[in-house]
Amino acid sequence: MSTAVVEKVDDDLWSAIGDPTRRRMLDLLLIEGDGTATTLSQQMPVTRQAVAKHLGVLDRVGLVRATPAGREKRYRVDDAQLARAVAQLSSVGSAWDARLRRIKRIAEAIQHTQQD
Amino acid sequence: MEFGTIEREIYVEASPEIVFEVVSSPDHLKQWWPDDARYDPTPGSVGEIVFGDRAAGGAVVPFTVIDARPPRTFSFRWTHPAGEVAAEGNSLLVTFELTPSGGGTLLKMTETGFREMSWEVAVLEQQYQEHVTGWDFYLPRLAPYVATLKVRP
Repeated sequence: MSTAVVEKVDDDLWSAIGDPTRRRMLDLLLIEGDGTATTLSQQMPVTRQAVAKHLGVLDRVGLVRATPAGREKRYRVDDAQLARAVAQLSSVGSAWDARLRRIKRIAEAIQHTQQD
Repeated sequence: MEFGTIEREIYVEASPEIVFEVVSSPDHLKQWWPDDARYDPTPGSVGEIVFGDRAAGGAVVPFTVIDARPPRTFSFRWTHPAGEVAAEGNSLLVTFELTPSGGGTLLKMTETGFREMSWEVAVLEQQYQEHVTGWDFYLPRLAPYVATLKVRP
């Protein structure tokens, strides 16, 4: 039951971070601490409207948090949610760690057999 | 932040010739990764790897050999849609580079393509966790997710 919900959140998070423009926006927000659709669009080859739309996607999955700033919203990266996304890629890395350990074991067993 | 590439290095006390055989031959691949593997370990060869039981809903994943230069380099692409030619943007590229070192072999693995494809692929990768560590891997992850769900509207 809860597994289905968890997978849904998972997919949305990955889709959100899967877009290069949105990752660039996250990078800019991390470097500068915060930003609005206007300040971000000044540093990217996309319109303010497009940036606002991307920020909406990031906001829905919790990767950024918005506070009102005049007529705009000011966004910051949600560290905890970003850490979760990064952790998921590290777990792909740990799958490779396990595979490489098995490669090592198999190759060394063959080497050992040939030396005997 | 570089999300798009996984790099790993491991020292193996075996000759590059043996290590090359283990990383490239389908019979050996089955011992360290999928449940079944069918391809020729020659450049351009298109085949498949299977996770689980093919006859009982297992996942059959396309596998294309890109480069095979014994005993130095072996690379392949996987996860491209069946029937499509494997290329940048539709698949993950795994490269093994072997360097002789102190009587053994330094084995370097890189997996790239996450940035070009979609991060959903990373999730796909996770589904192909070997059975032995599968549960060890998934169980600790559930608690943090459930915790996050609570604070989400």
